[in-house]
Amino acid sequence: MNLILSDRPLALPETGPDDIRLIDLSQRKIANCVGCFGCWTKTPGKCVIRDDAVEVYPAIAASDRVLYVSRVKYGGYDTIMKSMLERAIPVQQAFIRLFHGETHHVQRAVAPKQAVILAYGDISPREQQVFRRLVERNASNMNFESHRVVFVPEHEVEEAVKKEVEAWARS
Amino acid sequence: MGKILILNGSPRAPRSNSKAYAQWFTQVCPTETETYAITRDNHLELCRAMENCDHLLLVFPLYADGIPVTLLNFLKTLEENPPQHKPTVSVLINCGFLEPEQSEVAISMVELFCEQNSYPFGSVLSIGSGEAILNTPFRGLVGRKLKQLAASMTRRQGRRLKVTMPLPKKLFLRASTTYWENYGKRNGITRAQMETMDIEI
Repeated sequence: MNLILSDRPLALPETGPDDIRLIDLSQRKIANCVGCFGCWTKTPGKCVIRDDAVEVYPAIAASDRVLYVSRVKYGGYDTIMKSMLERAIPVQQAFIRLFHGETHHVQRAVAPKQAVILAYGDISPREQQVFRRLVERNASNMNFESHRVVFVPEHEVEEAVKKEVEAWARS
Repeated sequence: MGKILILNGSPRAPRSNSKAYAQWFTQVCPTETETYAITRDNHLELCRAMENCDHLLLVFPLYADGIPVTLLNFLKTLEENPPQHKPTVSVLINCGFLEPEQSEVAISMVELFCEQNSYPFGSVLSIGSGEAILNTPFRGLVGRKLKQLAASMTRRQGRRLKVTMPLPKKLFLRASTTYWENYGKRNGITRAQMETMDIEI
């Protein structure tokens, strides 16, 4: 499955593949993770907060191609995307493994992903550098097999999404 | 040095490891401290509290490779409501992984906030194995580093400190597996249940 997770409304081009699921997080009710570890130790694989996030993290897990569209703040994802990524930890187990020589959580049934992160806003070179390091770390914790970061000013988001979706259609 | 304002940016502040680290810090810190948990509703109150301090210590866990939303949202409010006198900002971060280096990006995020908003950046203590270390014989190592952090902040040395369990990785894996297995057991959940590969099924 191809998943687009966006922190803003998007119009999809008609030329993309058929199996794209677009989730506009700005229209979803997603509370903050409360760090209760319920999804690891009480109801494994399920978040105890039953809001819209419980539809989103299974979609993340099932997708082998993802496009995350997020505004950047302080070199990281801004609130909407970051809230969702924090709520996605039910896709991992509490247990820790060695991965590339580092300790990381064991993944549940999470498809390996080709990830494109479309990061938008007025992003300084220094901020871009921190964001790239962040996505590099995400790769180990979110099962990205490959990843690419694209920085665009806000007014070019739609065009950049179109380009990525068309690339999906071609491959 | 004037007062240190300590803000707990953990999403589960009232019963967080961050709270325990912050409390211990206040016990070893020679300077007067004032501690608050960041909640959804107290951002402006905390911005005002900053007027009376020379130093701000942000205490928080690593969340999804970065700063938790609780802290992110507060920093955004602070950006809009800056104090007249900007304190020096230091960081006390903990992550559950063995490597404190996994928190480097989150520390850079706080540094970016400081650069963009003209706050002097101070010292850092990055704690690895932070979920469990306080309940192990290695807790003394944390105490020593907290003292060093307090001294570095007081003397404005800008030190970058790290601490973690001094264990080979394979031994840490075994210890953490036992830790989590016991955590589940207290909730009546077996290891096999915790190891389910199912998500929302």
